Amino acid sequence: MFTREQSKWRQVLWQIPAIILLAGFVGICVNSLRPDSIPVVGDWSAKTSTAATTGENLAIPLAEAEKLFSAQLAVFIDARDEEDYARGHIRGALSLPWKDVGKRFPEIARDIPADKVIITYCDGEGCHLSHDLAVFLRQQGFENVWELVNGWTVWQDDNLPVEERNAVSP
Amino acid sequence: MEEKNSPYNKYAKRHPQIGFTGILYHAARWILGVVFIYASLHKILYPGAFAEAVYLYQILPDWLINLTALVLPWVELFLGIFLVIGLWMPGAVVISNLLFMIFMGALSYNMARGLDISCGCFSTSPTAGTVDIWAVLLDGMFLVVSLYLLLVTFRWVPARGSLLSSLTRRQP
Repeated sequence: MFTREQSKWRQVLWQIPAIILLAGFVGICVNSLRPDSIPVVGDWSAKTSTAATTGENLAIPLAEAEKLFSAQLAVFIDARDEEDYARGHIRGALSLPWKDVGKRFPEIARDIPADKVIITYCDGEGCHLSHDLAVFLRQQGFENVWELVNGWTVWQDDNLPVEERNAVSP
Repeated sequence: MEEKNSPYNKYAKRHPQIGFTGILYHAARWILGVVFIYASLHKILYPGAFAEAVYLYQILPDWLINLTALVLPWVELFLGIFLVIGLWMPGAVVISNLLFMIFMGALSYNMARGLDISCGCFSTSPTAGTVDIWAVLLDGMFLVVSLYLLLVTFRWVPARGSLLSSLTRRQP
């Protein structure tokens, strides 16, 4: 004999899979019938997502970014929070957190040399901060603005110059 | 079960009394039911936009993103309907608690790492509601209601009748 509570937990054991299977079945059937259906397994590589949000691909390949960095032809702008920037950033990068862009942009704008390529970056393949910042800077009149997708990670993975909290020379 | 025909239960069946806790219980499941149904609609209508919102959370592996965007809104819809009509309550209440905990985790995690993304909680529009402390608090509020339902469903706290009559029910 089961107590009432035990029999309820037994019900939970079949009801949870039943609800999920029911939802999965209906969801996938409805999706296959609708004209704007999406694939059950989608392609979410960084490139497609960057192009998808604005229809414009602003991504710059890492090799290009590195070349411009070495030739000192680019200014990098970090779109992450100040704390993330303080923990570590691409050497020489300016900090312009996307969330404070309205407030901070005027002061940062003075530091951006007109003749340089602007490369924005943040962290994570799906991070849109740098893309939004690049679009914003273009709207503000800067023409040569690009985004280094997943910038902080790929830059470190390639052992390129960084400034970190314990070894910063401001 | 053995008490089904006890004099008290016969009496209670003829005179169903909805006490304060009873009203609270029904109100809780209706509120959560409506919340889940409402939350599911926009996502069911725009699966592509919801998939984008799920993607931006950067928590799930790529292959799970679309599947989640297709199935989760329907889980919410069925869950909402079941909560409103009172069907499969033990399962529905446990899923409800799990979902609010998962949402809470996802929201807090992305708030902590400072991602500027839309919540995707009630609307799939990128401009409607960001992941902020209010989204976490609202989720926390629903989680409290959901936990209450869990306690009542599993008889850890009484639901029907007044608190006093529930406590004395077994000694007619």
